Amino acid sequence: MSALNPEHIDLSHTEPSQITQNNFTNHGVDNLVAPSVKQLQQKGIARNYAQANRYLRLSTTLVLISALAIVWWLAPQQDFISINARLLSLFPVVILIIATLGFVVTLYGTYADKVKFYALREHDISYSSGLIFYKTVSQPILRIQHVELKRGPIDRKIGLAKLQVFSAGGALHTFEIPGLPIAEAQKIRQFILDHKDSNRHG
Amino acid sequence: MDKSIIATEHKQESDNVINGHTVDVNEVAEPYSVDASVSETSFSEPRTEMNTQQWQRLSPIAILYFAAKLITTLFSNVVYIAPAVLLSYNEILAHPHIWLPVGLLLFSIMVAVTLLKFYFFQYRLSNGHIEIRSGVFSKTHINLPFSRIQNVKLEQPIYYRPFAYTCLQLDTAGSAKQEAKVVALKVDFAEQLKAEILASYQQAPMTEAAAETDKSTQPSVSDSAEILLNRRSLKDLVIHGISSNRVWIFLGLLAPFLDDIAEYGVRAFFYLGIDIEQLLTVADKPWWQVGLFALTLTLLALFTVTLFSIAGAIISFYNFTLHKIDDRYIRRSGLLTKHEVTMRLSRLQMVVKQQDWLDILLKRINLKFEQSNANMQNIQPGAHNNKIIVPAIKYHECQALIADAYPNNQLMSIDYQSISKHFLLRNIGYILLPIFMLLSIFVFVIEKTMLLWLISGIFSVLTALIYCRWRRWGFAQDEHYIYIRKGLLGVDYYCFPRYKVQQTSIKQSWFSKRKALASISLILASGSQTVPFIDESLAYDWVDEALRVVESSGKSWM
Repeated sequence: MSALNPEHIDLSHTEPSQITQNNFTNHGVDNLVAPSVKQLQQKGIARNYAQANRYLRLSTTLVLISALAIVWWLAPQQDFISINARLLSLFPVVILIIATLGFVVTLYGTYADKVKFYALREHDISYSSGLIFYKTVSQPILRIQHVELKRGPIDRKIGLAKLQVFSAGGALHTFEIPGLPIAEAQKIRQFILDHKDSNRHG
Repeated sequence: MDKSIIATEHKQESDNVINGHTVDVNEVAEPYSVDASVSETSFSEPRTEMNTQQWQRLSPIAILYFAAKLITTLFSNVVYIAPAVLLSYNEILAHPHIWLPVGLLLFSIMVAVTLLKFYFFQYRLSNGHIEIRSGVFSKTHINLPFSRIQNVKLEQPIYYRPFAYTCLQLDTAGSAKQEAKVVALKVDFAEQLKAEILASYQQAPMTEAAAETDKSTQPSVSDSAEILLNRRSLKDLVIHGISSNRVWIFLGLLAPFLDDIAEYGVRAFFYLGIDIEQLLTVADKPWWQVGLFALTLTLLALFTVTLFSIAGAIISFYNFTLHKIDDRYIRRSGLLTKHEVTMRLSRLQMVVKQQDWLDILLKRINLKFEQSNANMQNIQPGAHNNKIIVPAIKYHECQALIADAYPNNQLMSIDYQSISKHFLLRNIGYILLPIFMLLSIFVFVIEKTMLLWLISGIFSVLTALIYCRWRRWGFAQDEHYIYIRKGLLGVDYYCFPRYKVQQTSIKQSWFSKRKALASISLILASGSQTVPFIDESLAYDWVDEALRVVESSGKSWM
């Protein structure tokens, strides 16, 4: 993964007072491309994110199945609580359904995690995802109100972070990029903060 | 008491905030004789500063406010225990030695709480800050610099009116917690305070995005007079009551109680000598008689509900006026509680021109000026805090208002492009039709042909509705603005300048990608606007253009 170098972008000419329609540019941070969301220089999120997610989904399914199986197996052998026999006979079906669902979700997730991309340009940040329902969200940096890095226990273990960006669009439209290597996430955050500063005092 | 105060909201920015801003002297220079302890500042600052050196208690009239608030919160919670009370009503009545002391105790607790709340509510004005301490057990200390206040609202409940008091509500753009309400101020003092706060906001150093050239050229606040933009008569409000959705909102609210109401109604009629249940027993009556009864009952119900709706419209919009002073819109209305909402033009996110089907027939429009709803949590029901709605206006009035807010706007005249017919294909062909087929086969198999008619009826109504939806959905753009039209039976027009966009998104499914279609969402501070099933290239053009305008203009959204 190529390093992100916010220092290399000359932010001085992006000061709003100087931007006119003619000299406005919005190149990709690493490369020079035309400013269309259609041709973003996209980067995939971390590989081990998909891996960790796959294990997480699989193990959740397994835990659920084994818990149900244990109950199913133990229930007739104890007499503390009486359990309806018909309810018990439903257990294999439920276990089968959960197993199938877990398998499908894991399979879908494995492929869906591979098509999560993000792209950073001079003035905005985009995230695209989706296997069947494809979606690209773009967030102008100028409209960002604050940035957060979120790291759950798994993220911390494998050195990843989730970048959250808040705008006035409200909580429903929080811009999120999951599975970023922590260093990369910090760089993006710094890039956003620097960008805002350069705008504010420009 | 001081030690126990937990300073939850404490922003210390006193050094850089408002030193020596100049409010026009002739308006604010007269000494504030409203409250004895409101004294002129003794510092060397300009005399325009409003200062109360010590902490102020409110006028005792505020007790009324706290009592009313306590009662309303109690009532809204009483709903949950009401069934229990009603069930054991007789039993409770039979034991006065229990309910009497309990009731008395409750009453005295309420009185005590009200008095304590009043006692612990204090405010102070100093150096362009307003500080409010409140709370009996959990104490709150709010410190707001005037320059951070975005919105000043005056709210005058009916019991304040004879004494000329008002509530002053202050909103910040940030968190909902940071809003403050001074519960009882003399009206003229509140007005002066409002003027000063608004003025200081204008002259405070811009901390938001810098390039707000439109603000630096503002004239001073107080030298221009309010211009009346619109006024609504009682007749307009009646029309609004008839045509507005309030009917259905009201029905929705009533839904849990419909059973009880119906039963009560039936019993009432029974006392009048009319047995509705017998009337409604279909068996021994000719069909036309039954039909007529049903129709009459429906009309009667509709009529009652419409009356309520009209009453609702009058209560919230009575004496509606919309003024403009410089770049601020001021809405005043209200029968019982008078609301005054002030909104700066720069805060306006979107204009919505709304017409229900009845509005279309009556040729009226409801115009909404939408503001950021980032702090939706603190909207009191009925206050319409963040929007200015101008109800039931005529076409030319609407035209004038929109032109005033958004010059060179073509909302009323632009040609809308319709969305792709695949919208119909997807919703009817791929979703509705298969469900209909499956159901009909099922019904056919179990041989209930009557049901088949019902299902077909529902299917055709839904199809018609989807078609209406498709017909209504349109979009257009010009140099500055984006226009979206949508609706079902009624029609809504949305218009906003491109630079208000907060975020964009493009969605495509695997199917629509093959058809080169996409849907776009433009997220504004007032909510998101979606246009589905448009040309893929057009979708990218719109998004690119919106992003370009937002990023290159550097204009602030508020």
